[in-house]
Amino acid sequence: MKSFVIKLLALMFLSFGALHASAPASAEALSTHQEETYVSQPFSEMITGFLGSTGIAAFINPDPEELDPHGKEMSDFHKSWGRIIMILVTFFLFWLAIKKGFEPLLLLPIAFGGLLANIPIAGIAGDHGFLGVIYNMGLANEMFPILIFMGVGAMTDFGPLLSNPKTALLGGAAQFGIFGTLVGAVALTQIGLADFTLQQASAISIIGGADGPTSIFIATKLAPELLGAIAVASYSYMAMVPIIQPPIMRALTTEAERKIKMTTLRHVSRLEKLVFPIMVLTLAILVLPAATPLIGAFMFGNFLKESGVVERLNDTLQNSLINTVTIFLGLGVGSKLAANEFLVPDTMFIMALGIVAFSVGTASGVLMAKVMNMFPGHKVNPLIGSAGVSAVPMAARVSNKVGMEYDRSNMLLMHAMGPNVAGVIGSAVAAGVLISLFQ
Amino acid sequence: METNLIIEGFKFMALGMGTVFLFLIILIFMMNVMSIVIQKFFPEPKQVASGSENKQQDNKKIIAAITAAITHHKQG
Repeated sequence: MKSFVIKLLALMFLSFGALHASAPASAEALSTHQEETYVSQPFSEMITGFLGSTGIAAFINPDPEELDPHGKEMSDFHKSWGRIIMILVTFFLFWLAIKKGFEPLLLLPIAFGGLLANIPIAGIAGDHGFLGVIYNMGLANEMFPILIFMGVGAMTDFGPLLSNPKTALLGGAAQFGIFGTLVGAVALTQIGLADFTLQQASAISIIGGADGPTSIFIATKLAPELLGAIAVASYSYMAMVPIIQPPIMRALTTEAERKIKMTTLRHVSRLEKLVFPIMVLTLAILVLPAATPLIGAFMFGNFLKESGVVERLNDTLQNSLINTVTIFLGLGVGSKLAANEFLVPDTMFIMALGIVAFSVGTASGVLMAKVMNMFPGHKVNPLIGSAGVSAVPMAARVSNKVGMEYDRSNMLLMHAMGPNVAGVIGSAVAAGVLISLFQ
Repeated sequence: METNLIIEGFKFMALGMGTVFLFLIILIFMMNVMSIVIQKFFPEPKQVASGSENKQQDNKKIIAAITAAITHHKQG
């Protein structure tokens, strides 16, 4: 045995020797290989070479030749301090997700993706790094948001909306957040503060729909360069719904309005729930085919669920598929937290416009409910108007919580689910309009 | 770039909100029609609830019988 190993080693040495001998002869042919052939060097040089490739050296003294993943020049700030700042930002996001419980399912993968994307030398977010591969696999082509929409469709129950259809108007009114912000973003450009094109302004404004997948879908279609900031703004504000919404809701309603009790919801038959997704999709096909990728995926998930005969598929959509895609989506979005893409002045404007979008959406939902109460018919508690921003089911829970603060017996959760799911349809329609305008 | 972007923004808003509301209003109309049609022509079969009622009545009878027996026993 031992002699066999020795023979093998000897053979390897001999063949290497042969290769070396033939190397100069075929230098042109092997030019790419030749760079990789190992050249013996003194130990001291090895150590200095290794020290030069450590993270510390890369942070302190960045390689001037290093290019960003798209082959463009990077400033020294983005290679050194920028990365450190972004790594600290991701630590802050960890804290928000773990300690504060802000949408941890998404925030943790996004933040960790951001941490990995800011590592120097490794190039994880580059085209050949694994984050870059994930990004190109499902985000650059809008695949992941669509898959998420299928899962959300399978988790959605349209019963509350079907039993009180007029609450859909609240979900429509909340879309003012989107278009109000669009005007805001172009106004910023007009007065010269920022420099957004109409496409970029539209992509930013969709944050007001409070719908993560829709925001990502639109951003990748209209302004992929802003995807990181838009996705982070969208998800972090969705996570902060319980903080942002209640003050606006209280400011716009009177105590008596907050105590309005709504009539109990009627029972919705299974057939109605089964027909509904097909009905919405048909309407989308006729009115706005541009919105059908989103609405189609959403209704596909919902139809599988309501059909009641494909429990296995429904279970996969609701659990394994959406969980898997959430991991990839989070990491892919996180890859856009790389310092050179995120630490730009635009990000600040996007975060600011995002919160305006959210507040306007909440406010217009509440105001719409007050308008509806001016007409005869069953009264609507304006607190459920805020649930018109999509953010399912968080916004509906907020309506319920604020309602309970003023009357312990007033359960608004199911009533708020109506505008909530209508908000998802509403923002998908708004997204469709924006896409169709730029085609 | 002499176009007034703000006016463009308002145009987008008018078109977008118009479409969203149009879509949802048609949807509300269709939902109402659908529920009327379905409730009229395809009502869900009423669940047979009489079984449990009978049981409850039986329970009441048994309770009545026991109470009667106890009072009878106490009196006797």
